[in-house]
Amino acid sequence: MTSPAPLSGAAAPCIRLHAVGVTYPTARGPVEAVADVGLDIGEGEFVALLGPTGCGKSTLLRVIGDLTPPCRGQIEVRGQGAAAARRRNEFGFVFQEPALLPWRTALANVHLPLEVVGYPAERRVRRCEELLDLVGLLGFKDNYPHELSGGMKQRVAIVRALAWDPSILLMDEPFSALDELTRNRLQEDLLALWAVEHKTIVFVTHNIAEAVYLADRVAVMSARPGRIKALLPVRLPRPRRPQMRDTVEFLEHLRTAREALGG
Amino acid sequence: MSEPAGPPAPETRAWERLLPPALFLVAALLVWEAAVWWFGIPRWLLPAPTQIAARFVKMKTLWYHTGLTVMEAASGFAASALVGIALSAGIVHSRVLERGVFPYVIVSNAIPIIAIIPLLTIWFGFGFAPKIMIAAIITFFPIVTNTTRGLKSADASVLDFMRSINATRWQVFSKVQFPCALPYIFAAFRIASSLSLVGAVVAEFYGSDRGLGFLVITSATQLQTDLLFVAISVLALLGVGSFTLFGRIERAFGQGRVDVEYRR
Repeated sequence: MTSPAPLSGAAAPCIRLHAVGVTYPTARGPVEAVADVGLDIGEGEFVALLGPTGCGKSTLLRVIGDLTPPCRGQIEVRGQGAAAARRRNEFGFVFQEPALLPWRTALANVHLPLEVVGYPAERRVRRCEELLDLVGLLGFKDNYPHELSGGMKQRVAIVRALAWDPSILLMDEPFSALDELTRNRLQEDLLALWAVEHKTIVFVTHNIAEAVYLADRVAVMSARPGRIKALLPVRLPRPRRPQMRDTVEFLEHLRTAREALGG
Repeated sequence: MSEPAGPPAPETRAWERLLPPALFLVAALLVWEAAVWWFGIPRWLLPAPTQIAARFVKMKTLWYHTGLTVMEAASGFAASALVGIALSAGIVHSRVLERGVFPYVIVSNAIPIIAIIPLLTIWFGFGFAPKIMIAAIITFFPIVTNTTRGLKSADASVLDFMRSINATRWQVFSKVQFPCALPYIFAAFRIASSLSLVGAVVAEFYGSDRGLGFLVITSATQLQTDLLFVAISVLALLGVGSFTLFGRIERAFGQGRVDVEYRR
């Protein structure tokens, strides 16, 4: 890993959010999920959206990925709208649940997006095997999802989102359904993948340690309506190592983030 | 998320499953046979199993009638499956179609099918056409409702993922929704295959000179009760056969997958 990505919005940010707001109609009247969010995310930067459950961070991620239209404000991805970026297959999405197709093997699941985005047919299987190998699942390529553990399924889901080499990875609490050991293992996997396939990553989580350990910057969000209360740069060296979790610097970052969340 | 499932329980061997019901059947037939001879029940009221079997062997035109009825039922079923699945695909992809057509699919199920037969006979005569149509109409409802439910059972996150990679509607349908719906479709086919036989036979009751339904009606009016039993037995076997066939196909398609995850 080279030097950390720019800490603030550089000259040409990868993703730029300007005054983004989302309001949902519900039976009990409109609910403001996201209010007035402005954020610049640099090329190759790893940004965590940290906030309590139901603070609209997932909604914000869906707005960036053009799965939910914003009610107010603008989203630019490399100077164009989010819809254009989605149509160019710039986004690799990972959800809280693996969302694999149960009738497809691990390899066939990673293969799925390659069939859709028009990846060269003769290189597809090799690409899938390469990626499964990166996360130690090559030996399970012919297994069906119900034959894999929760952590394995989520790893398949992650490499599925990387298969066609999208430039931006959007991750919606991808590890929150996993036990702590598996979660730590997958965090290492993700950082290793990020070192190989340098992507811009927006990572939604409600886990403070996870946000600090993984990200270059942590955007701390308030409860509904979700707004960005604080932008905390993480000044920990890369590559991150598990032993860093016990250092004073790491714990100080945790404290700052916790205070920002609570305040 | 469910834990990895263990290996399925070993299936009991076929003869172990089939032996008890077979024994009961033989016992019931023996009692029936004995009762008929013992009490001297007249043949027109209740023929003995052996008399029915003899009639079955002697009945040369049975296969002709059976073939016709099966053809009508199968044609109606096939037409209904094609149109029904296409309509379900439309309903899932179009709000207008769902709101505009789906209520009528439900209404169609509320109309007693027998009431339509004379109308179809006025329009299409005494040939195959009205029988095939009745078989199609009677199977339409379970096929459309089940297929629609199956297509809608696709996981929301998977659909989000497909949208995030800008998949076309056809790709979403063919790669996600349709495979998701297959267990539902085969379940519908299992029900519809026996229903289509019912439809064809009932349609043959009204204005027909061939087919198993015709056989049932004529043997009943002429008090040829043994022939009536032959026709009923053939119909029962056909129903069980088609039910088993589609059950097998459903299981063959279900190999190596957990449907439960997708059936919320």
